[in-house]
Amino acid sequence: MNQYFLKKECKELHAFPHIIEFALKKINTIQFDSLKKETSHFLRFYYVIDGRFDWMIEDQHHILYPGDLAIILPGQRFGGEKDLLDIGTVSWLHLALPQLERNGKIALGQWSRLTENEGMTIGKIIVLNGCPVLSKLKEAGMLFQNIYNEFLNQEIGYYARINQLIDELFILIARQLTRQNNSRRDFPQTFMKLEQSLRENLSHQWTVEEMAALVGLGITAFSEKVKNYTGFSPLNYLINIRISEAIKLLKRQDVHVTDIALDVGFYSSQHFATTFKKLTGYTPSDFRKKNIPETE
Amino acid sequence: MECVITIEIGTGAIRVSAFDLEGNLIGYSKGSYPTFHARPDFSEQDPEQIFITMLYILKNFLNEKIYSKKYHVISICFSSAMHSVLPIDKNGVPLGNAMVWSDNRAKKEANDLKNADLGKTLYKATGTPIHAMSPLNKITWLKNHEKDRFQTTSKFLSIKTYIIQQLTGEYIVDHSVASATGMLNIYSLQWEDNALQSAGINKENLADVVPVFYSPKKLKKEYQTSLGLHDNVKIIVGSSDGCMATLGAGVWGDGKATITLEESGAVRVVSKEVIQDEKQRIFNYVLTEGNYVSGGPTNNVGSAFEWYAKQFGDFKKAFDLEDCMENLVNDASKVDAGSRGLIFLPYLQGERAPIWNANARGVYFGLNINHEQQHFIRATIEGIMYAFYSIGKTLEEHRCIKSLSANGTFASYPLWTQIMADVFNKPVHIKENSGPDSVACGGFLVSATVLGRFKNLEEAAQKVKLLDGYQPQQQNHELYGKHYAIFERLGTKLFDEFEAIAELQQNS
Repeated sequence: MNQYFLKKECKELHAFPHIIEFALKKINTIQFDSLKKETSHFLRFYYVIDGRFDWMIEDQHHILYPGDLAIILPGQRFGGEKDLLDIGTVSWLHLALPQLERNGKIALGQWSRLTENEGMTIGKIIVLNGCPVLSKLKEAGMLFQNIYNEFLNQEIGYYARINQLIDELFILIARQLTRQNNSRRDFPQTFMKLEQSLRENLSHQWTVEEMAALVGLGITAFSEKVKNYTGFSPLNYLINIRISEAIKLLKRQDVHVTDIALDVGFYSSQHFATTFKKLTGYTPSDFRKKNIPETE
Repeated sequence: MECVITIEIGTGAIRVSAFDLEGNLIGYSKGSYPTFHARPDFSEQDPEQIFITMLYILKNFLNEKIYSKKYHVISICFSSAMHSVLPIDKNGVPLGNAMVWSDNRAKKEANDLKNADLGKTLYKATGTPIHAMSPLNKITWLKNHEKDRFQTTSKFLSIKTYIIQQLTGEYIVDHSVASATGMLNIYSLQWEDNALQSAGINKENLADVVPVFYSPKKLKKEYQTSLGLHDNVKIIVGSSDGCMATLGAGVWGDGKATITLEESGAVRVVSKEVIQDEKQRIFNYVLTEGNYVSGGPTNNVGSAFEWYAKQFGDFKKAFDLEDCMENLVNDASKVDAGSRGLIFLPYLQGERAPIWNANARGVYFGLNINHEQQHFIRATIEGIMYAFYSIGKTLEEHRCIKSLSANGTFASYPLWTQIMADVFNKPVHIKENSGPDSVACGGFLVSATVLGRFKNLEEAAQKVKLLDGYQPQQQNHELYGKHYAIFERLGTKLFDEFEAIAELQQNS
């Protein structure tokens, strides 16, 4: 396999504004400062073909072996443990994304054939994932190899093929992550992880699709499991958390009712007030008055 | 038609049930809430989420299963898990989450107190063994570790006290839940000054103690409206889940004991007198004045079997634990009693009664080259039963037990109850057709007594029909007895090794 290195300036990448770098590199000698620890603003994938790599991702030490894939999110710190690339062979892909917030959304961009919903859900799974290294993911190696071949040969249709292969890489990663994070045995434990994600992103307008994808189940099976375990449909369970959090905020005096509604994920204070009253019999402001003495 | 509602505020879920006045179950519904573990020893729940879950489930249940069938609700009776502590400020606002029964953070406080003379005095006065889960030690922990929160606290409530206060405005705690705090004098039914002093609080920092039959004046108007209830609906404070399960299992009077098999479990008896165990192995809770529920709890019942299933079971469908466990039980029934000499000590989460050792750990003992997976499964179930038996034997030092009544989720496996009958060499009865939930049934019996349908709880308990159930097989009992002797010795002999391994695990 020959070495290959495409940078932003290369004409091969003119048709791919979203690809910042694609490389397949064989390292025979150690060069100091060849992989300094730094923070960048794009999404990075590294696939190890040969050798052993000592890396730091967000101050965590990871050792990667052949077949392992590292995923580094924009804003995360990444580099060699000794600020250099170890001896071996590695392939990487750097992608620019129109939008990515740490606890928000990844939007892939126009080039992707994933539906908006799929793209967002996959983005969510990647962002919420706490583990940046997927081990023994040979399928990812195949995808990198195919991308490399397409660039090299530039046969008819290569533009579409390369973007397809990147879509496939995203799908593969998302599926692998949900499988790796869920034993498919312990639903209470799996549900607790989901619960935590919901709480950490309570103002997000969650859909059942997103929640089901995080657990790695289809929508029907997911809803049935949640109903069975919690007694609520997934969306009602979410309302339940939203109202409980709202009650805590209502019992403090320093937050405005309108802000509470949005903070806990209702799309308007009207929506909040109606749901709250239906459940508790109080409007949010009455509830606040009855629970906190006015003098203070 | 008239009906009564029972609400069980359980370890991880609210269960709402409805009964007609004859005690027939009309329907039930449940809603769960999470337990947070900010640190390994911490177990907390959000009181607001529990409250909202209760409202949500109750409201839907009433609309879908009660009003639609033209039932009229005349009373609502509560029960709850024991040992919870929720600090609130002077406005009644919770200061953080509630510590629930399984919270173990007060280990050191409990040990210190247990080894002091005061510990012995308090066990005599309160009837509760000194352990980390007891609210007495949880409050002491707050005093020692979170001074600010401790000082801002106006009252320390149980979760049930908070829920009932939200609904009615009254701060009350029933005799049963209060007697599980380690702070109630079990004879005078007043808060015990020695205990309060040791926790650094006074009576005003706790709720008012009331009998389990007590009814707060009324439900707040807003909740009457949103739930569609009449203003004369009777709210009944009720008892603890343990006492309710005992009552609902029809256990009352000499010679009877009940065994609850949920995630954790307990063996209990009801009697007119408190059991004073010299080694402080037995708890005593007040059911009503002069009637005590005494017994011992175990940490590892369903939780131990579910652990086995999750690790080694065959999941044909994703997340289908029930199906997986049923197949395991089926496999276990294919091998003979005694599991060919394989013995399991189920102490995966430490153990309470009778060894009271938080550092005890699980052991498979006697493994040889011929053991197959089926022996492991059967040994796991048998080990769980040996743990129950060790509690039963401790109780038998004080009371005579002739028959058992089993309840809880895991009592529905015939193999489990048969092994229980064989290990104990006593008949095991199962309650007739009201499902496994004897907590709800206990709630009905308390309600019916308040409503005047029974003279007292003793008469109410006779109403519970028990099926003949499972008879002990003498041959198996003898075999189990030989295995149990080894089980019992291992639990004591391994004491030093338990300490050593627990310390290693603490640091790994």
